[in-house]
Amino acid sequence: MAEKLRLKIITPEKLVFDGEVEELVAPGQMGEFGVLPGHVPFLSVLHPGRLRFKTEESGENTLIIHGGLADIKDDTISILTDQSEDPEEVDVAAARKDAEGFQRELDELQDAEPSQREELDKKLRIARARAGE
Amino acid sequence: MPSLKQITTKIKSVRSTRRIMGAMKLIAAVRLQKAQAALMAYRPYSDAYRDVVLNVAALSESEDHPLLRVPEEKTNLHVLFFTSDRGLCGSFNSALIRNMQRYVEEQSEVFGNIKLSFVGRRGRDYFSRNGLTTGKYYTGVNEKNSRKFSEELAAALTEEFRVGESDEIVLAYNHFVSAISQKMTFERLLPLSAQEADDGGAESSSDYIFEPEKERIIGSILPKYVQVRIERAMNESLTSEHAARMTAMENATSNADEVIAKLTLLFNKTRQAIITTELMDIVNGTEAQKGGNE
Repeated sequence: MAEKLRLKIITPEKLVFDGEVEELVAPGQMGEFGVLPGHVPFLSVLHPGRLRFKTEESGENTLIIHGGLADIKDDTISILTDQSEDPEEVDVAAARKDAEGFQRELDELQDAEPSQREELDKKLRIARARAGE
Repeated sequence: MPSLKQITTKIKSVRSTRRIMGAMKLIAAVRLQKAQAALMAYRPYSDAYRDVVLNVAALSESEDHPLLRVPEEKTNLHVLFFTSDRGLCGSFNSALIRNMQRYVEEQSEVFGNIKLSFVGRRGRDYFSRNGLTTGKYYTGVNEKNSRKFSEELAAALTEEFRVGESDEIVLAYNHFVSAISQKMTFERLLPLSAQEADDGGAESSSDYIFEPEKERIIGSILPKYVQVRIERAMNESLTSEHAARMTAMENATSNADEVIAKLTLLFNKTRQAIITTELMDIVNGTEAQKGGNE
């Protein structure tokens, strides 16, 4: 496959990645989706989760993103996210503990405000992504 | 002619002022560096966010979301005006205020009612003295809390626009160009759809896939967009302020150097004059004595 995708991962703190990739898998709100060159224009809200992309130089890469947006147009993908992390730098045990804590909290808050539950749900997803679950 | 003691006192006081200015310059330089780095990092994010939102807005109808509403009448204009809290930054605030005044005059021909909100003490102080209707007022914004403040502001402003209290919201801030140049900018924050025109040919919405549905995407990204733009304006303004302060303090330091040089010269001249007078006295005295002996 000659064609490549241009991927940009941008957070408020820095440009995390800007380069060519062969393939990308992102955690969309409606489930994971993959992007290959020639994709139709596409805009999706992302859940916190793991973003995987393949480059020629370094092969398979994974990044943890804390939710955000994916905009795909003319073989250019812009991922806008609040924060991104390298999975290797994450304290998995602590993240797992966090996830358990949030899960418990969420269970207790069955009839809380939807916005409150949503926030907790996001925290839980971030913690799960960090723990690699 | 001032006495030597007076001149020494003066030199001392200018020296200590110079030292303070020098220190302020260094502080401003460090803060500028930090703020600039943060701003440079934030710009791509906020620009990309803007692109996405404008694109979506161009593909949407104004009924799709309250924030895309196009007001039928232009009655209430709300301007969020960014200045600094503190002075000693040269013409930073005065230039902003001057431009702002002109802008208010221009806009008052279009809008029946103009409301000003402020981030930063200086702008508020000036306009409240001049009796303009003032809205909210925030002070103590810095690099660390700009996110929190912008979230608060965004929530308040979007709500205001949603219920129709404001027909247009504008951000007025100094855009940071470089350490020696800042440019005052008036940016329309809402309504969004009015910007469509200069966005150019967007693809027809049938080509674009939205996930989840467009309405839900708009609902989740538009409020965030408002926050992002406000935070960007805060960062631009803060960085500009540090740059202006650094330049002002740099000028003040070199001015002080000049004054010190002049005073030192005056000191030396005066000292010389005093010595000459004393010598003349002595010579006169001895001459007079000689005359008496002969």
